[in-house]
Amino acid sequence: MWGAGLVNGLRITLRNLRRGPIAVKYPYEKLELPERARWAVRPKYFEDGSPKCTACMTCVRTCPDHILSLDVETREDKTKHIDRFGYEIGACMMCGLCVEVCPFDAIRMSHEYELAVTDVSGLDEALLEDVDAASAQRHRAASDGTKDPESDD
Amino acid sequence: MSPTAGVIVRFVALLGLMLTNGVVMIYMLRKVLGRLHIRYGPIHVGWHGTLQTVNDVLKLLTKEDITPSAVDRWLYRLAPALVFVPSLVAYAALPFSPDLAAVQLDTGLLFTFAVLSIVPIGILVAGWASSNKWSLLGGMRAAAQQIAYEVPLLLSVLPIVMIAGTASLGGIVAYQEGTFLGVVPHWFIFNPLGLASFAIFAVAALVELNQTPFDMSEADSELVAGFATEYSAMKFGLLFLSEFSNQFVLSALGVTLFFGGWMLPWISAEAVSSVPGLPVAVFMLKAYAGIAVMMWIRGTFPRVRIDQLMQLGWKRLIPAALALVLVAGVIHKAVL
Repeated sequence: MWGAGLVNGLRITLRNLRRGPIAVKYPYEKLELPERARWAVRPKYFEDGSPKCTACMTCVRTCPDHILSLDVETREDKTKHIDRFGYEIGACMMCGLCVEVCPFDAIRMSHEYELAVTDVSGLDEALLEDVDAASAQRHRAASDGTKDPESDD
Repeated sequence: MSPTAGVIVRFVALLGLMLTNGVVMIYMLRKVLGRLHIRYGPIHVGWHGTLQTVNDVLKLLTKEDITPSAVDRWLYRLAPALVFVPSLVAYAALPFSPDLAAVQLDTGLLFTFAVLSIVPIGILVAGWASSNKWSLLGGMRAAAQQIAYEVPLLLSVLPIVMIAGTASLGGIVAYQEGTFLGVVPHWFIFNPLGLASFAIFAVAALVELNQTPFDMSEADSELVAGFATEYSAMKFGLLFLSEFSNQFVLSALGVTLFFGGWMLPWISAEAVSSVPGLPVAVFMLKAYAGIAVMMWIRGTFPRVRIDQLMQLGWKRLIPAALALVLVAGVIHKAVL
């Protein structure tokens, strides 16, 4: 019938009116993110607080946006010191390839989604700064007698 | 009370009613549209966001009033007044209760429509004076659609005038007292001829008001804000306010013509008018119900194209309205 669509449209909006708002009042109410939601990249740490990153550069080479950078000093005993693990979050597309590719499970996609900053410089963060990179040697030394069975050879 | 003082009191009362209507209706629009879209609408300023519009009015009043350098200065300043004043004058003949109307006019219906037909001229002036292509397009569209639809709007109420035998709004309300056969209220909406003319009236009124789905003159997605694009601060406020005020006026006219004005169904007019304030309350309630329906329509339908609108007006509504006048005339003379 001519006009039935118009009436149906009015019926739908009236039903919406009676349903009540489904909007989430965002700053006050927040939805729980899905477990595998991908937001800002964050480093992972051992229980003693030292970073798991070994400064192997795999993530830096993988990143399609070239936004990860590692300034590393290699000492004489082959241990590495991370001067700065840079992360330009403003250009990050949260693809998660760096996390996928990391052989040491040293970074993760966090659930931090409130990433707005008031200054452009805030879009270039350092994930790690001026810390020693993880290495099997050092880890063994730190964990004292309790040796990791796999690295014991 | 001297006549001059009486006029001033009426003027101030109508101005107050118009401004209050504007503030209430803008809040109502936001809330109703919000709910229709499953949102909240304003919630922050005041209780449930009730002070939001007051806040916006204060903002409009204190904003910088920019006059772009290329505009036609005289017309640019004249246009908001030209749009606002007729909107205010249109309140004059509305019968809020048996004895409450700013002026009792025998030709109240004609007067109200005549005054409202000045509004498109003001809008055209605003669009032209802004020297902006979007404004001009908006102004032209407004003039085209409002002038085109004034014809069916006026023709659609002619049967009412014929049957009631008066063009006085108070008289038309008085005619609708009582019931058909003691069951159905004697309102024009329950009369087959009245129903047909209401259908035409409703569509023509929506177009006349630049209401979605017929808001081509300010089509935000195409014309920025149409004729109001170059206006800022309270000049914009006046244009905006007049739109809402016209909405109230036409809703009130619809209530008066088709829904028995200030009367309640199955209750005698004397009983209603003997309670002080009740007729006014009933009238306002009915008018606001009409506004709510308009907002409902606004929140539901997408905008139609300008050529579709003109076709509907010239090819369908005007012939239909003419036919209705003819039929009503014949029936009125032959049967009643």
